[in-house]
Amino acid sequence: MTAADPSTADEHTTAGEHRPATGTPVRRKEDARLLTGRGRFVSDLVLPRMRHVAFVRSPIAHARLDGIEVAEALDVDGVHAVFTGRHPTIAPVSLRAQSALPGYVETDQPPLARGKVRFTGEAVAAVVADDRYRAEDGAEAVIVDYDPLRPTVCAWTDPAEITDPVHDEAPDNLLLSRTFRAGDVEAALAAADVVVARELTTNRHGGNPIECRAGVAHFESADRRLTFWSGTQVPHLVRTQLAELLGLPEGDIRVVAPDVGGGFGVKAVLYPEDVALCLMAIATPDVPLKWVEDRVEHLLAATHARDHRYVLRAGFAADGALLAVTADVWCNTGAYSVYPWTAGIEPLMAGGLLTGPYKLADYECTVRGVATNTSPSGPYRGVARPSTVFAMEALMDSGARALGMDPVALRRRNLILPADIPYRMPSRLVDDSGAYEACLDRAVEVFGLEAWRSEQARRRGAGERPLGIGVGIYNELTGLGRAASAGPRMPFRTGHEACTVRVNPDGAVTVFSGVTSQGQGLETTMAQVVADALGVDYDAVTVRYGDTDSSLWGFGAFSSRQAVIGGGAANLAGAHVREKVLALAGALREVDVADLDLRGGQVHVRGQEKPVISLAEVARVAYLQSDRLPEGFEPGLEGTKFYDPIRGAFAAGAQLAALEVDPTTGEIGVLAWVCVEDAGTIVHPVIVDGQIAGSIAQGIGGAMYEHLVYDDEGNLSTGTLLDYLMPTSGEIPELTIDHVSTPAANPTGVRGVGEGGTLAPNAVVAGAVADALGVEVDDLPVTPARVWELVHGGGAR
Amino acid sequence: MKCARFSYHRAVDVADAVTALAEADGEGKLLAGGQSLVPVMALRMAAPEVIVDVNRIPGLDHLEVHDGVLRAGALVRHAALAGQTLHPLAAAAARWIGHAAIRSRGTLAGSLAHADPSAELPAVLRACDGAVHVAGPGGSRRVDAAALFTGALQSDVGEDEMITAVELPCPDAWGFAEFARRHGDFAVVSVAAARFGSELRIVVGGVAGTPHLVPAGDLDGPLDDARVASLADAAADDVDPPSDLHGSAGHRRALTREMTRRALASVAATPAREPV
Amino acid sequence: MRITLTVNGEQHRLTVEPRRTLADALREDLGLTGTHLGCEHGVCGACTVLVDGEPVRACLMFAVQAEGCAVATVEGLAEPDGTLHPLQEAFSVCHGLQCGACTPGMLMTAAHLLAVEPDPDRERIRAEMAGNICRCTGYVGIVDAVASAAAALAQDERP
Repeated sequence: MTAADPSTADEHTTAGEHRPATGTPVRRKEDARLLTGRGRFVSDLVLPRMRHVAFVRSPIAHARLDGIEVAEALDVDGVHAVFTGRHPTIAPVSLRAQSALPGYVETDQPPLARGKVRFTGEAVAAVVADDRYRAEDGAEAVIVDYDPLRPTVCAWTDPAEITDPVHDEAPDNLLLSRTFRAGDVEAALAAADVVVARELTTNRHGGNPIECRAGVAHFESADRRLTFWSGTQVPHLVRTQLAELLGLPEGDIRVVAPDVGGGFGVKAVLYPEDVALCLMAIATPDVPLKWVEDRVEHLLAATHARDHRYVLRAGFAADGALLAVTADVWCNTGAYSVYPWTAGIEPLMAGGLLTGPYKLADYECTVRGVATNTSPSGPYRGVARPSTVFAMEALMDSGARALGMDPVALRRRNLILPADIPYRMPSRLVDDSGAYEACLDRAVEVFGLEAWRSEQARRRGAGERPLGIGVGIYNELTGLGRAASAGPRMPFRTGHEACTVRVNPDGAVTVFSGVTSQGQGLETTMAQVVADALGVDYDAVTVRYGDTDSSLWGFGAFSSRQAVIGGGAANLAGAHVREKVLALAGALREVDVADLDLRGGQVHVRGQEKPVISLAEVARVAYLQSDRLPEGFEPGLEGTKFYDPIRGAFAAGAQLAALEVDPTTGEIGVLAWVCVEDAGTIVHPVIVDGQIAGSIAQGIGGAMYEHLVYDDEGNLSTGTLLDYLMPTSGEIPELTIDHVSTPAANPTGVRGVGEGGTLAPNAVVAGAVADALGVEVDDLPVTPARVWELVHGGGAR
Repeated sequence: MKCARFSYHRAVDVADAVTALAEADGEGKLLAGGQSLVPVMALRMAAPEVIVDVNRIPGLDHLEVHDGVLRAGALVRHAALAGQTLHPLAAAAARWIGHAAIRSRGTLAGSLAHADPSAELPAVLRACDGAVHVAGPGGSRRVDAAALFTGALQSDVGEDEMITAVELPCPDAWGFAEFARRHGDFAVVSVAAARFGSELRIVVGGVAGTPHLVPAGDLDGPLDDARVASLADAAADDVDPPSDLHGSAGHRRALTREMTRRALASVAATPAREPV
Repeated sequence: MRITLTVNGEQHRLTVEPRRTLADALREDLGLTGTHLGCEHGVCGACTVLVDGEPVRACLMFAVQAEGCAVATVEGLAEPDGTLHPLQEAFSVCHGLQCGACTPGMLMTAAHLLAVEPDPDRERIRAEMAGNICRCTGYVGIVDAVASAAAALAQDERP
């Protein structure tokens, strides 16, 4: 239905009440096409004269490039061109992730390797052919002469052992380091009744969306316009960066992110392959070039994450008060400082958020981003915090054991409470959520903690299979505003978002949003927000997004920001157009605007059931009947607004799980898993729960299954999905998700939920296994082999 | 991940397939279910010049029992094996293979010829002391399970030969246990156990290049818990497993003990078979 | 090579290289891009289609092998008038999809499951859907959807 005709007003409006779209599980707008095989993914795109690209990738981790022989490849049937880093179009261009952070070492990343290769899988050449089969034939025929250098794989290698640094600019491979300091940590430790120490490592893994990366670049010579269809999470950022790198006016670049098959952060990066593809398209004008990354390429060369080491101490008072935390953190940034987020993305997040939901005055944490000959690390759902929550909760568990306190009680003793808000964390981030205890309380209740503790005791007594309970409490920094923008002092601030709301001449509404969607349902969420802000039915709203030519501005999908900031912009734009509609309606009907209300696409005098005019008629006047336009009104019915908050909205969450461990095999069984989050106002309850469930599943994947393993030579040992294990429906347990809801101080009251679920499973699984077996779990993932080693190979406390 | 070029021959019968392989002169490869071969080709780790597709050869999908031996055609799919009741051990093992879309294509003979040391069916063939019939340019021959598996991913099936049929003796009692990382994954360790009269055969998969037969000897008494435990210990002592991404040697040894225990518990619990 | 195959009831004649996978033939030659490729080595399940009623990884089957076969893809699930298949309906209602990349394979796997086992419990659904990886949903919505579609189909069957 449309909002056009008052005579067809639906059940929502006849009663004089319009049910808001917010809070209801409306049918997702995306579903009709995605369920019927009619999605529009980059990998589906076909254009006239299109050719296909395959990259030649380095089979070794670190080597000087002594020459690339392409003649044989050019002879392969169907091959049109082979590009290398020396091609005149490509040679002058480098990606150079910038940060004003003191001491940050800037380094270049070439679109195709120049001079040397720095990780296994780095693109050294690109073959253009009639189809992907022939492009791969050509890639096989490219002969590359590598002169091996000594690779560094581990980020905490003794710097004295580094003979061949990854980048000459950083002889010790250290790209950045920063110390977070608050209070006097040594004095606080000295005053502590107990001091616990832990050394932890977390496992490298990655996003692995089901659709890998993909791009189609088309440069039209007649008007020198570049169109880049890309499965990116950040189309506007990509446009800006491409303009800079390619030397094209920004207005002559269009970036389109249509349906995107999952992102999770991996696609929030501008990759050298993207830049190479665009440069090659410029070099072969009027021939669209398509590259669809395959899974092996993805595992080798899409960004990885979470390859960290934490050396920690925490001091507690006898009553359980957390007095001090010291941390030394190493983050493996891989071979390049990822563009544009830099090598700082993980270390700085780790240092900034380590203390999580706990009050702490005395804190000292040194984080380091260390380059190695491995695939670059980049944003992956939760950025560093799955590791830091694991680290912090490990300290809590150790503290509870040392003090003989209940681990939940110890946590509760230290949580940031509503009375503490706004709370300035030791890293000086300002927390606006005091919902941690509410989440924990609710989780304890829903989980049935006491019953599980009894069952645990019963099993211990009966000598049955051990059961452990794991706890993870976390804060998700969502919708970052201008005061604490995502990323380490980059040349741009990611705090704002634009939205245009247009009422069409027929009264239906089209929204041009700066958001992007990789499955989060933003098309639906934006439609809900606008429907309510404007006063029309959800079905009357269509959303266009992911296209830099149609929306004014959006930073895109990262930091759980889009529902908060994109939603804020949609709300403001909708409200703005509503005012225009009411003003025009009032003038047309000679009614005081203050008395008018727009709901369900009908303008009413407040309190009256019968509408005075329909939105469709107002729109008709605005576009088609300027003779009826009252004085002072300009034609058209559209508005664009930015939402530009100062601060973000912290989202609180708590997860509890009961796991049982088979000591003979090391197998872990999940018996119950509960998550309670504070998502603020919930726009679409099913989408929100879907985000939480999906992120918990990815968290469990990282905690128990997923591990990108390099051997000492820098070869990826887990190069296919036979070895890189993502959990299936057979492994992910039934999840119980519940909510507390404290609306955030933003236009929609929303707190972001995209990442929170991923933050706890490392802590929960490791904590539960430790609890079950009476061991300390210091290394992830917690596999059956590791559990078995913990039971049988020593390590028992 | 696209395969290199090859020429394709759709074999009409076994002789045709064998001739086509011979003509390929070492550069040919049989294509049955394709569940192992095609991924390797997609990765370009294998690039056969000639693919001889045997899927349309008639008469190779039979499953029947003669004289206590299951005779299965080369093209019996895992799904069919999993669904039959003639040989419950083979059925149980086949249900552990991958997922529906893999079992619908993958074949018994293909799995045996591929000889993955972590695969289920090679362990079953060895446990049942079965055999395969192999057709080649020089005619047909019978290869015992003991001789079939020569190393990891290596079998005594020549590059111009084809397994045409499989013989799997039906045990009087049986058990199959497997430990895998995820549902449907290759085994970290699997154990197939079969009792023929008083002879007990225990085969461990995933601990060596080939399915490992544990010397179990004759059952001279009841298979009670104590006996099961001592046999499980013996199996664990007998294997010399490798360490890899999915388990250390020690872990695999422990898994061997536990999977043997579970498989033997099934053997002990198998009801006496009705005389056929 | 010239091949003839039927896809969703429609017969097609194609000329393909022997090495062309069924998935690529569907996507590139027939424009049926609903069948997705997630790994091209038979693990993720995104490309699952039905060939003569049996589920198949379309990335592990060459198009030439489908000569004379009847292939069913996600594009053929809904009624010709656009009415969604009960599975599609249930996936939407239960939020069994987010990005939609794994969805076609999930739907075809589920369609086969319910054809051979109309009343699976949740544990069976979890086991039988385990050959299809989803990165978005955490499987909760998917299991809900398959269970709900099974119930809806059972209702339809009732006289």
